[in-house]
Order: sequence, then structure tokens, then C-alpha cells
Amino acid sequence: MAQFLEQIINGLVLGGIYALIAVGYTMVYGIIQLINFAHGEIFMFGAYFAFTLVTFLNVPFWIALPMSMILCAVMGILIDVIAYRPLRNASRLSALITAIGMSLGLQNLAQLIWKADQRTIKSELLPTFFLSENAISLPSGAALPYRDLFIILLALVLMIALNRLIHLTKIGKAMRACAQNKVAANLMGIKTNHVIAVTFAIGSALGAVAGVMVGLREVIEPMMGYYKGVAAFAAAVLGGIGNITGAMLGGILIGLAEALGAGYINSSYRIAIAYIIMIVVILIRPSGLLGKSTSNRA
Amino acid sequence: MKNKLTSKSVILFLLICFFPLFTYGIDYIYRLLSSQGIYLPIPSGDTMLRTVIDVCLYILLAVGINIVCGFTGQLDLGYVAFYLVGGYTAGLLMTRLGISYWIALPVAVLNGALWGLIRGVPTLRLTGDYFAIVTFGFAELLFRVVKVEDWLIGDIDGMINDIPPPKIFGIELYQLWHYYYQIFILLAIVVFVTYRLLHSRVGRAWVAIREDEQAAESMGINVSRYKLLAFTVSAAIGALGGAFLGPFRAGISAGTFEFWESILIICMVVLGGLGSIKGAIIGGAVLASLGEILRWVLPGQLGDARYLIFGIILILLMRYRPDGLILKKA
Repeated sequence: MAQFLEQIINGLVLGGIYALIAVGYTMVYGIIQLINFAHGEIFMFGAYFAFTLVTFLNVPFWIALPMSMILCAVMGILIDVIAYRPLRNASRLSALITAIGMSLGLQNLAQLIWKADQRTIKSELLPTFFLSENAISLPSGAALPYRDLFIILLALVLMIALNRLIHLTKIGKAMRACAQNKVAANLMGIKTNHVIAVTFAIGSALGAVAGVMVGLREVIEPMMGYYKGVAAFAAAVLGGIGNITGAMLGGILIGLAEALGAGYINSSYRIAIAYIIMIVVILIRPSGLLGKSTSNRA
Repeated sequence: MKNKLTSKSVILFLLICFFPLFTYGIDYIYRLLSSQGIYLPIPSGDTMLRTVIDVCLYILLAVGINIVCGFTGQLDLGYVAFYLVGGYTAGLLMTRLGISYWIALPVAVLNGALWGLIRGVPTLRLTGDYFAIVTFGFAELLFRVVKVEDWLIGDIDGMINDIPPPKIFGIELYQLWHYYYQIFILLAIVVFVTYRLLHSRVGRAWVAIREDEQAAESMGINVSRYKLLAFTVSAAIGALGGAFLGPFRAGISAGTFEFWESILIICMVVLGGLGSIKGAIIGGAVLASLGEILRWVLPGQLGDARYLIFGIILILLMRYRPDGLILKKA
């Protein structure tokens, strides 16, 4: 029972992280119909930014987190402006290949800057609150570290904030308008390029938070953007790509599936579980759990 | 097909035929000079020959992926899966059962075609992004399986060691120049077959599907059949490359078949121009040799940065020359 509870906690933490990344994929896809492969790399850079700030520049964690978010938001906008904006009217294949090229380039850039070694943020440099010993003991003997609780709660808060932003603010309305019809939105006086840039910035900042969260629990390495990025993409597909609530739901489901699968089946296959879910969803129900059923979305 | 025997093509043919001799000449000069105390900063002849074989192998794969990506216009992000299937089929047959290379090779090709069919049937209806994602996931799953399942492959990380070289009449063809001529003949066959396919009813159907699937269907083209054929032929070529790789490297491991390999091959086809055989050959030759040259030129860990350069190449190409460096489309 204790093991089961711990796997559930693990799953929820992973799920929160995946949901934060998946939202970035799904928002961009919703507006410009592009799988932004480089999003996983932004998430990885988020982790590295926080690592560098905390380890080498002695910035306190609570300042490093928002700084990493800002840096990643700028990075997201830059990627959009440099690589994707010139291709807005080009073929979908060109944009997709550009996204892959961007992902490949950023991954190896990180490898050049920070080397391929696995890094961890030293626990002395973090608030003591994050030490894994500081935990709430649950009735059946399982432990819930404050760190994990913090991650789950922060993910939840950010998700609710994003939801409110999309539904209640002016920029959120503009984003929804662009997702429905870019040309019409443009005719209504919405600066579409501006809205797309904001979308990239928000998605990237949330990705950075996810990166910092991973940095609190696991090692940081250049490949993490690829592994976690694909799982998060699977979450976006599962929830229905383009659907933000779906991405949150998908993230938590994939996180739980991965944690339980790794705990009870074979931990070597933990990534494969996300792939299998992704393939099955695309083949059986391409619109995902919450998406509108458009059979041939391409 | 206008094929005139120009002096240029004859010279090219002779150059290809005598390239191994040239590399041995370089080795000879190198030895001669080094005995005098002069060391030239050039790679040895063996390294050059090995590089050329690697480049030819990449060209083979580029021509193969071009059938799906270029001719039918679907982005295949998991081509490496068939490379893997070919490599492991031939490798396991030869090491476990001691079957001759000349039987293992066609079996591997057939198995590759079969896997192309297995992947092709469920993905027939998918287009664009979704096709790309499913092919990617498929390749990653196969990669995981060979990496994790030790009982299947017999060693950790999908290693197969000591794959024996091919034999003809009891003579082991283990020298580099044997492999050089072998890959050359294989490549020639593959290029010839794809060329003939492209300029036949089949190829025209593929291009029609790429341009407009619905229009092609209404003109009486059986879209699913031709798409499946493209998947199968492309997969078979990938498997052929994999089957060749095993004996040439004297062993394979899962690391050879990572996702980035697929991207590298796509990069080659895109560089040369999607949908053109000549483009695939030139793109493959340029990019594969560029990778090797960068590995020599850049020091130490910077050598890994060549993927950064590939990424930049992809972005710049899509921005300025989305049809590749060779403009004419097939």
C-alpha cells in the first residue's frame, strides 16, 4: 500500500510537470498548427538556467525561478521570430522540419555550453524546505515530501491561472480568436503576430517552471528535453491537441501511467508507455479525449 | 531515359572503380614520408575508405527515405526503424544460426519490407503531423525493445558482436575495399530500381498522390495500394542498409539506431531537395562527408557539435531554399 501511494504521488508530480510542458505544445499547436519540437528544449534550458543561476551565480532559488521563466519566455519569442514567423505561409512540412532543426540545434547548443554530464542543483543551495527528508508521513507509511507537494500545488495554481487568463483577459480572448480563425482575427484588429509571440512566451515560461521542478528532483542533462518533451507531447495528444484543459488532463494521466508502469511493470519501459499511449490515441481517436472530433486533422 | 556515355560519366566511373587503389597509394606515400620524419596532417587511406563507405551507406538510406518523404510527400520521422530491423535480422541470423550473409541479406530486406507493411497499414489514413508522430513513436518503440530486451538480442544495449564478414567460395571478404565495392553495387542497384520506379506508372502515381491525394484518387489511382508500396519499398531499402552495416562494422548496438539518425537522413534529403533521386544522392554525399570532416576538424567534444550545424542547416534551408539546393523537382 505504501508503495502504491508513493507511486501515485510520483505520478501526480510527473503529471503536473508533463501538464505544464504539454500546455506549451498545445497552445502553439492551437494557434499556428505547428508541433513545436523545440518546446522540449526550452524546458531543458529552463532547468539549466535555474541550475546556472543557483550554482554559479549564487542567486537565491526564489529569484532564480522567475528569472529562468523570463529567460525562457524571451527564448520562446526569439525562436518564433527567427525560425517560425518567416514560414507562416510556407508548407506545413517546411515548418515541421524547421522545428526539428531548431530542437536538434538547441539540444546540441546546451551540450556545448553545459557539457553532456548530468548535473544536479546542490541541495545546500536550495531552501531547506526542499530537502527530501522533510516530508509529511502519510498513514500507511508512505512519505509525501514537501518538495513534491510544492510541485503539485504550484502546477495546479499555474494551470488555474492560465485557465483564467485564457478565459477572462483581453489577451486570452485574442488568443482564442486566433485559434479559431487567424485571418478573421486579423481583420478584427487583433495583431496576430503579437498574440502568437505572447503564446510562445507563456508556453515557454510554463515550460521553464516544469524544467526547474525536474531540476529539484532529478538530474539535469541535455537529453531531458527530448525524453520529457515527447512524453509531454503524448499528453497533449491524449488530451486532444489544441485543447488546454485536455493537455492538463493528459499530462496527469500520462504521469500516473508512467509512474505506475515503471513501478509495477519494468522501469526501462517508462518512456515507452508514453509512446504507446500516443500511438494508440492517434490511431484510434486522433482528436484525443477532449478534442473536437475532426477525423483528419493535418 | 536519355543516357549518353559522356566522357564525364566515364571518368566518374573510373574514379569510383579505382578509389581503393588511390587510398592505398596515399597510405604508401604517408609511410614513405613518415619514415623520412615528415608527418602529413591528412587522415590515413583506411580512414578515407571507411568514410566513403559510410557516406555511401547514408546515400543508400537517403535514397530510401526519399521514396516516402519525397515521392509521396509524407514526413517519416522513424526511418531508422527499418535500418534497425535490417541490421538485427541479418546480425541475429548470422551469429545465432550461422546462416550465410548472402541468405541473411535478402531475408533482412524482406523482413524490412514486412515491417514497412506493418507500420504502413495503420498509418495509411494519417497525414502530415500525425503520420510524422506515429512513425517517430514506432521507431522509438523498436529502439527501446532492442535496447532493453537482453534475452532477445543476447547482450546488453542490443549489442551483437563478431558478425562474420561475407564469404564467396570460402574466401572471406573482410577487407575494406571488398565492402567498398559491395556497397557500391548495392547502391547502384537501389538507385537503378528507384529511378525506374519513379519513371514508371508507379512513380507517377506517387507524385500524383503527393500533389493532391483526392485528385489522384478520383483519377483512378488506388491511393492506399500505392502508398503501401512506397512504404514497403522504402523500408526494404532501409533494411538493406542495416544488413550491410552489421558485417561492415563487425557488430551493431542499439546506439546506432537513435532517433537523431532519422533526422540526419531527412536532413540529407531536404538538403538535396525532396523528391529527387539526384538530390538525395548529392545531399547524402555532402552531409555525410561534412559530418566526418567536422569530426576531424573540430577538436574533442566540439566534434559532437556537428549536430548543431545540421540543425542550423535545416533551419536555413527551410527559410531560404525550401526546395533544396537542387531546384528541379522530379
